[in-house]
Amino acid sequence: MSEKIAIGPFNPELEESVYFKLKADENRIVTDVEIINGFIHRGMEGLVTKKNFMQNLILTERVCSLCSNNHPFTYAMAVEKISGIKIPLRAEALRVVADEVKRVASDMFNLAMLTHLAHTHDLMKETMNIREHMQDLKEVIWGNRMDMSVNILTGTKYDLDEGKIEIILEKLKIVESQVRALQEKYENSEAFKEKTIGVGVLPKEDALSIGVTGPVARGSGINNDVRVIAPYSLYAIRPEIRPNVTLRTEGDVYARAMVRFGDILEAIRIIKDVVADLPEGPTYLEKRPHIPAGEAVVRTEAPRGELIYYLKTDGSQKPERMRWKVPTFTNWEALKVMILGDKVDNVTMILNSIDPCISCTER
Amino acid sequence: MSKEVVPKLFRVNTGSCNGCDVEFVATAFVDKFELESLGVELVEHINEANVLVVTGPLTARSEPFLKKYVAQMRKPYAVVGIGTCSVTSGIFRDSYAIEGPTDKIVDVDINVAGCPPRPESIAEGVAKGIKVLQQKLNGEATPKTLDMIFSDFTAPASFRGKIDLNEDMCTACRTCETVCPSGAIEISAVEGGFIHKVWHNSCCFCGNCAYFCPTGAIFNTNSFDTAKTQDEKYSEVNVGHINYETCSCCGENYMPPSRGLLGKAYVHDDVSKLNDAICPACRKEANFKRMYG
Ligand code: SF4
Ligand code: SF4
Ligand code: SF4
Repeated sequence: MSEKIAIGPFNPELEESVYFKLKADENRIVTDVEIINGFIHRGMEGLVTKKNFMQNLILTERVCSLCSNNHPFTYAMAVEKISGIKIPLRAEALRVVADEVKRVASDMFNLAMLTHLAHTHDLMKETMNIREHMQDLKEVIWGNRMDMSVNILTGTKYDLDEGKIEIILEKLKIVESQVRALQEKYENSEAFKEKTIGVGVLPKEDALSIGVTGPVARGSGINNDVRVIAPYSLYAIRPEIRPNVTLRTEGDVYARAMVRFGDILEAIRIIKDVVADLPEGPTYLEKRPHIPAGEAVVRTEAPRGELIYYLKTDGSQKPERMRWKVPTFTNWEALKVMILGDKVDNVTMILNSIDPCISCTER
Repeated sequence: MSKEVVPKLFRVNTGSCNGCDVEFVATAFVDKFELESLGVELVEHINEANVLVVTGPLTARSEPFLKKYVAQMRKPYAVVGIGTCSVTSGIFRDSYAIEGPTDKIVDVDINVAGCPPRPESIAEGVAKGIKVLQQKLNGEATPKTLDMIFSDFTAPASFRGKIDLNEDMCTACRTCETVCPSGAIEISAVEGGFIHKVWHNSCCFCGNCAYFCPTGAIFNTNSFDTAKTQDEKYSEVNVGHINYETCSCCGENYMPPSRGLLGKAYVHDDVSKLNDAICPACRKEANFKRMYG
């Protein structure tokens, strides 16, 4: 006997809209999975060609507000590549600071959702409360809790002075010790481990053949962190700030969570290192540079993995074509491997464990 | 006697960039934001809900599903749209894939602009939604405006909130209009000058206008008082008048230079004395006469 189960499209447990049609056997083990997409499709690839380069700094930020710094960052790098512009060193550093701050907040949100779905409510509350420090920090330094509006073409909008660096370091001190304590709680919570260990397993061979990226890959023993294997921006200039990545081999929901803890702690370390030795100089070259015709491909490491931007320009004020490959696009395929043969009750949690960004993928 | 409401809330994401939904989760689960103090219950099924929270610009794909969900709700209910996207489709408005905003499909009661709104605004919006629901339950008419419910409404000075304009500094150069990603700024020529409008319900609070404005005339305040009733939707506008001056010499109208820019150029002079109501043409002529005449 088999049972048909639908999840979504508007599921209160999930932050984004997605529609699953599952088949399960009498033990509520998933035997077939169909995923229906398109709810978050906003036609962004069309929209970016209707807006000028300045407007697109903000529109790309709205591809996804969880990795909302990576998009304009990567987009700006593509424009600068086409224009042959080398941005000031201080701007590179400021971009990296903002990016790592976002990574901490994004990864912590994923952990909060995971503990929510694992029904370990205390852990969830605590994770959200610690994350609040990052939200406060973003608001105080950049003026918004989600969209920092950091990047402009040829540099950054914002600058840091001693007072602001102080604020950042103070917050990070609190967050770092709390995150370490929190990780221990995760590791010692029998309820959490029972829910997540051995669940949603992605074996290394599958991970390789599907080409997953980010914490999903690192949870299955593959290190393809772009900051390490193809460093860009300040990661290219200062090897010592590249992350020491956390690798796990189990490939389950638990392993991916632990990889994210590693990413968070490394991000904090990177921010501290960068602000301790912030290069002097301007924060941008030109507010509105000339952008010639050309083509560029750029890749960066978003909180969810590798983000690729392709940009084509024709010398006008607007992009001729912009296309992006986001981490969730490949990680999404791995869901089928993870979900099939697992329990129906685990489906939403497994989905969450790839930290899906549907708004990036469907854009 | 008035009936007590137990607000049962269901959230529908119609294509958000995550910003609003993540902030909603924060509002609901972080102690300091007190959504719980409103007695709100987050329900699992739409047919149990009496408060519908909508985020996102309403994509073509989610439109029929939103309709289907709304049809399952028992009346009366209140609808709270969260985020600029929900109010006007925001930055995505011009896309082929967008069928919004929300009020095309369902009668919205409260709009909360912001990109994303602060959790305090979200809580305020939900609180106002509950108030509307209460009034509906008691057979009262929906109010046109509502007073602020939460009193502690402060944001850090750095917060990018509602836009304001310093009319004296603005020269109607249209830079802000050009860089604004969501079409929130409209500058129109009228008799005697220009009108500069910023639509708070379209604005995504990005600060691009303020950053690129050459004169420093336009700026983000830290006001985030954006939870408004549907009746107030089209009056949330900042209107600035940029007037021509009449030349004291020839009587023609001309756009006076921005005092902000003059201040940058003449750092050692008193700018108010420099700007003696003379149009560029007359000024040139006077200069020419003085030097060669
Ligand atoms: S209003 Fe802004 S933050 Fe909210 S969904 Fe729309 S783009 Fe995202
Ligand atoms: S606000 Fe600034 S950018 Fe906008 S029209 Fe006025 S001077 Fe120009
Ligand atoms: S902050 Fe300024 S540029 Fe940004 S959306 Fe609002 S009006 Fe437009």
